[in-house]
Amino acid sequence: MKLLFFISLSATLSLFVLASAEAGSLENLERERAILIDTMLSGDLGIKERQARLETTGTRLIDLERMVLRDKSLAGKNTSLVQAAFQNYDLTFLAHASIEQDRSLTDHWLNSVGLSTQTLFNASMGRR
Amino acid sequence: MNNLYIDPDPEQTKRIHDRLKSIFIAIFLGAVLACLISIPFAYATTAVWAPTASERLIKLPGQHLEKAVESDFRKSELATALEETEANSQLKQSTLGDLQKAIEQADGETRVELQHQFLLEKKNYVEMLKENQDLRRKRARIKLRLYERLLGKLSRKKQAGSPQQKHLVSLQENAQARFQSSLSKVDMKLMQSVAMGTSRYSQEYARNMSAIESLVAAVNAHPSNQAPALNGIALSQSDYLRSLISRNEAELALVDQERIILAHMAKLISLDALALSEETQLASQDLDAPSDDVPRSYVVEYFINQ
Repeated sequence: MKLLFFISLSATLSLFVLASAEAGSLENLERERAILIDTMLSGDLGIKERQARLETTGTRLIDLERMVLRDKSLAGKNTSLVQAAFQNYDLTFLAHASIEQDRSLTDHWLNSVGLSTQTLFNASMGRR
Repeated sequence: MNNLYIDPDPEQTKRIHDRLKSIFIAIFLGAVLACLISIPFAYATTAVWAPTASERLIKLPGQHLEKAVESDFRKSELATALEETEANSQLKQSTLGDLQKAIEQADGETRVELQHQFLLEKKNYVEMLKENQDLRRKRARIKLRLYERLLGKLSRKKQAGSPQQKHLVSLQENAQARFQSSLSKVDMKLMQSVAMGTSRYSQEYARNMSAIESLVAAVNAHPSNQAPALNGIALSQSDYLRSLISRNEAELALVDQERIILAHMAKLISLDALALSEETQLASQDLDAPSDDVPRSYVVEYFINQ
């Protein structure tokens, strides 16, 4: 009886540990996305290197986005991180949204934050 | 003092004794049966069953909910008491049958004695039926409360969450829909791109997904997982709970109706007791015997021989 109790307890604990390990899918996505944006904006990279890095990060990002969207533990999880993530699909699920709208990752991100060619042309230099 | 002593007539004493006995039985039966409806019985008050409306019950598939409740009930004191009263009333029925046969064959004083016995047994039988009804009513009420609590829990679960949480859920649903619609397009893009290619996660996920789908199909086809149905139409869990509630409401209504039958039975026993009492009283008075009245004679001689 005691043995059974300990087995069930350890099984429950291992399930709990697994569940808490999966809870970081959104954080992983956010980190990868930050790296991608950093690659986009970095002035130290050449065009080819930037393109190669963006493609590699993009593949990882697709997987991570799918992991987040399939993560059952996030369903209805009312935290600021989850709320912010789902408020703007285009920015959070950057890779999927960009392919959906037939745009490159960079174009899509710039467009989503409000930086289009037109707005840049219309911009004027001035003192704040 | 000795002159005042009256030697008791044995026949008269017996007659008085019989009369008192029958009156006593009639009063006793009348009083007991009149109070029958309002008297709380031992089993009905002491036998308990306290099921809990747990999450486990809500999650049980198909008709296993009712089976689990019934199984829990069978382990309770209430079930034992109910079984006991049912067995006792069956025994009492056979006793009544035997007594009735004996009455048909008996005559004289034995017959009256047996009729008294028959009335007492009928009274006990009605008491047992009353007890059985109380227990059945208690079972139906407990089940009703349990199913109502489960239904409440189920609807609370469905409506759970603050407005913010509900908003989040709707955002997640929209995101899910958008993701599903773009999934094939993203896959195509991945296949076309030499640099990107299909990742290990995607390959493993697709393989696991097919295994999960076949398992889910097996789970859905499993006979123990069949959803409860009414006239061939599958019921949702809340519909199923509502049907269980109405079934127990019907049980309560039927017990109430049976209470009327019992009240009439009790009244008949009371009337029988009264009739028997009157019958014994009249028999003891021996009305058919010649009247004890002595013809009045006027002693006229005292008046005329002076």
